[in-house]
Amino acid sequence: MSLIFIQFLNGLQAGLLIFLAASGLTLVFGILGVINLSHGSFYMLGAYLALTLTGIFGDVFLALALGIPLAFLCGFLIEFLLIRHLYNRDHLQQVLLTFALILVFNEFQQVVWGSYPHAIPAPSYLAGSVSLTEGMSYAVYRLVLMAICLGLALAMVLVIQKTRVGRMIRAAESNREMVEILGFDSRMIFRLVFAAGTTLAVTAGMLAAPIESAYPGVGDRVLILSFVIVVIGGIGSIRGAFIGSLLIGLADAFGKVFMPQFSSVMIYALMALVLVMRPTGLFGRA
Amino acid sequence: MLTRPNPSVVVFFLIFLAVLVALPFVAGTYPVKLMTRVIILATFVLSLDLLIGITGLVSFGHGAFFGCGAYAVYFVSPESEAANVFVALGAGLALGGTAALVVGAFATLTRGFYFIMVTLAAGQMMFSLFHDTDIAKGSDGAIVNVKPELTFRGASLLDFSDWHQFYYVCLLVLVASYFVLFGLVRSPFGRVLQGIRANEVRMSALGYDTYRYKLAAFTIAGMLAGLAGALFASIDGFVTPELLNWHQSGLAIMMVVLGGAGTLYGPIIGAFAYAMLEEVLKSASIVGPLIADHWRLGTGLTLVVAVLMSPDGLAGFLSWKRTRVIGDPSDAVQGENVSSRPARLAKALLTKGLSKNFDGLRAISDVSTVFAANKVHAIIGPNGAGKTTFINLLSGAVKATAGQVLINDQDVTCWPAHRIARAGLGRSFQLTNIFPRFSVRENCALAAQTHKTSLWRLRDRPYQGPEARAINRALSVAGLTERRNALAGNMSNGEQRQLEIAMLIASGADLLVLDEPLAGMGPEETQRVVSLLRDLVRDHTIILIEHDMDAVFAVADTLTVLVQGKLLAQGSPGEIRADRAVLEAYLGRRAEVGAVA
Amino acid sequence: MNTMTGNVLEARGLDTFYGASHILRGVNFRVGLGETVSLLGRNGMGKTTLLRTLMGLLKPKRGSVMFQGREVTGFRASMNARAGIGFVPEGRGVFPNLTVEENLVFAERPGPAGRVDWTRPAIYEIFPRLAERRKNWGNQLSGGEQQMLTIGRALLSNPTIMLIDEATEGLAPKVRDDIWSTLRMIREKGVAIVVVDKNIDDLVELAERHVVLAKGEVLFEGTSKQLRADWEFVSRMLGV
Repeated sequence: MSLIFIQFLNGLQAGLLIFLAASGLTLVFGILGVINLSHGSFYMLGAYLALTLTGIFGDVFLALALGIPLAFLCGFLIEFLLIRHLYNRDHLQQVLLTFALILVFNEFQQVVWGSYPHAIPAPSYLAGSVSLTEGMSYAVYRLVLMAICLGLALAMVLVIQKTRVGRMIRAAESNREMVEILGFDSRMIFRLVFAAGTTLAVTAGMLAAPIESAYPGVGDRVLILSFVIVVIGGIGSIRGAFIGSLLIGLADAFGKVFMPQFSSVMIYALMALVLVMRPTGLFGRA
Repeated sequence: MLTRPNPSVVVFFLIFLAVLVALPFVAGTYPVKLMTRVIILATFVLSLDLLIGITGLVSFGHGAFFGCGAYAVYFVSPESEAANVFVALGAGLALGGTAALVVGAFATLTRGFYFIMVTLAAGQMMFSLFHDTDIAKGSDGAIVNVKPELTFRGASLLDFSDWHQFYYVCLLVLVASYFVLFGLVRSPFGRVLQGIRANEVRMSALGYDTYRYKLAAFTIAGMLAGLAGALFASIDGFVTPELLNWHQSGLAIMMVVLGGAGTLYGPIIGAFAYAMLEEVLKSASIVGPLIADHWRLGTGLTLVVAVLMSPDGLAGFLSWKRTRVIGDPSDAVQGENVSSRPARLAKALLTKGLSKNFDGLRAISDVSTVFAANKVHAIIGPNGAGKTTFINLLSGAVKATAGQVLINDQDVTCWPAHRIARAGLGRSFQLTNIFPRFSVRENCALAAQTHKTSLWRLRDRPYQGPEARAINRALSVAGLTERRNALAGNMSNGEQRQLEIAMLIASGADLLVLDEPLAGMGPEETQRVVSLLRDLVRDHTIILIEHDMDAVFAVADTLTVLVQGKLLAQGSPGEIRADRAVLEAYLGRRAEVGAVA
Repeated sequence: MNTMTGNVLEARGLDTFYGASHILRGVNFRVGLGETVSLLGRNGMGKTTLLRTLMGLLKPKRGSVMFQGREVTGFRASMNARAGIGFVPEGRGVFPNLTVEENLVFAERPGPAGRVDWTRPAIYEIFPRLAERRKNWGNQLSGGEQQMLTIGRALLSNPTIMLIDEATEGLAPKVRDDIWSTLRMIREKGVAIVVVDKNIDDLVELAERHVVLAKGEVLFEGTSKQLRADWEFVSRMLGV
């Protein structure tokens, strides 16, 4: 019984974490209309950024304080230099160019940090476990992580639904030209959205680093899972990404316990099931 | 459409082939081994071109089928004996094809971004299957102890552990694969695939079940990839899950584009070029240790630059002469005498209480109409009245929320678009929907082919006569005979609309549903199309949407007025003109036809 | 304000292409301060292309566009909007995933000279139906309500000139009347208007000057009186 509950918590935690990454991906997809294969690379860079900055500042949250603005700036620049040229190109070219970006990022990572995995310490004040019930305890950091992810998810929804910026983003998604006609430079909006997307991925990577440690392939797994989640949830839907992330997180956690060898297979089977019922995802637009 | 390669290309490949054949005699083991790998890689990339370049399916998980083929050899190879060559290769083909069939079954339900993501995820799933589980020794990889052989009564005919023999087998497979695919793509089946890449919606509207064709292409490509994988397993006798990793699939896509997607021979060059590039960049003695250490970066950047600079890839460089259109076999057949076309009873269409809701918005409400056979029926109404939605309901492009559509008493309400098309309904679109990169004749040929659509149609010969006649007839009725070889995309808007009508005639549809056929046409073109329509009525029923009131009153036998999704009136032009309600709603309260303010 | 010609908006020698199609051929067009001009012509003759070129959504290959005496050829639409050009496109462009209120306030700002002639309460007064539907999503409105919303939305940016493409298309007669009286009110407030519509009678009443486009060229330009006098020629061109 306690095993199931622990796995439930694990699944929830994994799902919430990957939601950060997947939401960034679905935003970029839905609003910019670009398939960005390098999304996973940003997660990986986040993990390594956490490594370096925690080494300097000693605390992963301080690392975040610097990492987030850095990530935002990076995303901004990359949209300006590269991504905005992809808006009118066909899928094949988008795939190729962002795939090439992955190669660049991978090499960059190799040069700066090398191939060996690195562990990143959790903040000392969050180390250890807390007792949930008799005989069942859970890592404090993981609980805090869940709270942070949930908080960020709520903040995202609030920003999109209630703020002026969110209004512009929603408008740009349905009618980019009309936004221009009404006097707003949609280029800036797009730049912002892309930067937000990559920042979400970097943040997820940084937050996850104390749990997962940093290794070269960490971005790949996140990319594939994010894709599966976007397919299940529907392109452009935050709600779909949230539900998809929780589904995948829980499926993965329970799969690891009951069918350890086939846990990955199960995730893709889930995706296949959704597709047969709704080829554009649970909340996607046709 | 895919044509025979230019002479320059043919010469290039003959020389290339000669070099490859001669290689084992002049070079040592290492170059031969290297070339064997590259040849197998080329076969794999060739199979991917069938998907990307021919059918337009950007598959990101193709490496998985290659890996399956490799593992198949492991599965059929006994512990300490050699497997039979045909069994080994056959197993690779079978496993690759089966995996492709399973993945393709749900992947080809999707399009665009979704398809890319789904194939990527599916590929990774298969990677996890081999990596995480112990079906085949997991991440350590599997070893084929003894490479496949072919023996006959104790004498060894083929032994894959013999480098020279194996090299020639791989070369033979590559060359044979090219010719098989070439023939396949030029067959009726392959032409449908090319049509799907060019304009899938159009193909569906012409009557092709595009899902089946895409699935067939996906499976065939998977089979060929599996075959290549089976050969790969015999190089070192060592198979790892990494073969199925999506990075390999990504590199394969790059090679296809580098070489020139859609040419079939281009990706072969792409594979060789990439392999050579990798060898050079890995070699510290040529490029220095710094670059050699980061060769992945180098290859990535080179590929990107190459792709950006020449969209047609290396194949574009090779065939510097413009591809000439080969004379078509139907030239010899005489055009049919138009005026001798007999009158024939066409189909009638009926709707009963037809309704369509979009997310709470009632686009069409309870429309019941009658469209009698062999007449021209015009649908008119203000913008946003739902006219296009209405004909989308008729043609099956959109599913009705309620009500019925009947063609000659046959209820076709929930039929998919391609099935309704095969029932004899041909439609044109508001924005001209043809195949711009194919010639006029090729456009009509794709339409004519629907007379006998079967997935297994590989030969032209049996139907060439009747189809050529259908094409010629369509072209002459539509007045496009002189333009048969022109590229459709180069024609004027009016001519393209004529082409659309010609395609519908060629497809044999006798219930034509046209969405604004006269849009953007000048007076003479309008005149031509109007007389064409009046001529077609002899053996067709025509339903059209139009805004040009002059033309409508000149050509239509009945008018159907739709306003805000509801049927306002249906009757002869005279009746409608006099109808007060219609005037008020559409023609303008005081602007009666001919009145002055 | 261009002291030479007194024109709010002026286009000279416009040649606009759509791909390979030559849509506008040497078009000259002007709108005076506070003037209402109607743009007439059959479908596909270039009216929408002209409006889009004036707004900056299309770049002309040749020719120039001047707004209040300043050259704005090739400027982005967003810049022209901020300078005081309001555009109500064909198809309206209501944001389906924003509420009526959110749509309205989207571009709310004072005019280029700082004037605030139009406020939210004022718009709700002119269009009481929108006030009732303030919390509804954009895609839950009827065609007429969407048209009112886009006009109201454009007005809230306090423009100097409004370009309205197909103001009453697909709307019931009663709703059309409402739209025309709204346009009259806008005209009274001194906003210049360029209006495209199929309802010639209403246009003749509303606009002072009429320009007829045929195949991308200006074939007729004149006052309502001149239009009536030349009716036979014009009606042939318009296909009435």
